[in-house]
Amino acid sequence: MELEALQRIYSEVKDLGAQIVVLTPELERYTRALHEKLNLTFDILTDLHLKIAEQFRLLYVLPDYLRELYTSVGNALDRFDDEPEFRLPMPGRYVIDKHGIIRAAAVSADYTIRPEPSDTLNVLRALKTKARQVA
Amino acid sequence: MADLQSRLDEFKKAFESGAPPYNATQEAIETMHRATAELEASGLANKALRVGDRAPQFRLFNQDHVEVDSADLLRQGPVVVSFFRGHW
Repeated sequence: MELEALQRIYSEVKDLGAQIVVLTPELERYTRALHEKLNLTFDILTDLHLKIAEQFRLLYVLPDYLRELYTSVGNALDRFDDEPEFRLPMPGRYVIDKHGIIRAAAVSADYTIRPEPSDTLNVLRALKTKARQVA
Repeated sequence: MADLQSRLDEFKKAFESGAPPYNATQEAIETMHRATAELEASGLANKALRVGDRAPQFRLFNQDHVEVDSADLLRQGPVVVSFFRGHW
């Protein structure tokens, strides 16, 4: 649902001179299928073994009891992500300015809570206004 | 179009009702709630990178096996980076 919501704002994001990338631990065969299914026009990047999620400090290890539940319903992170340890990123959305500095950060321990795309657009608008003032 | 969070909330309600197509058991729902509560209590989310921090650079493969360099993206302007658990 979040990916579709990001797709809906993507043309406006591009008009603001910005881009979107999605990082996931999933292997390329799964990102390719998802990208096609949702008709996305921004990239899904495979963050293999969560190396970048770890640098953003979003990494956590699923507790054993949840791992058992996921496995029992066919959700095999060891296969989807090559993650035998069942680690995942917390959902997070960042806006990074062209100097590489984080200008917005929305991170949630509850995966059912996501930031609104409209908030992300507002951050990008503010960045653009600021860039114009400097120029 | 309703906002993202209200659509997520609707989905959660449907899922946690235990009705088809998800047929989630009460036990499974409680297990998921427990995991979320524990992760929240751990305070881990507060330790993630925040506004003002320098973002880590990355070079990763996209869905078409093309390598994408964050430095190339940033040369063109701001970048929204969204972390996603998976398609499941």
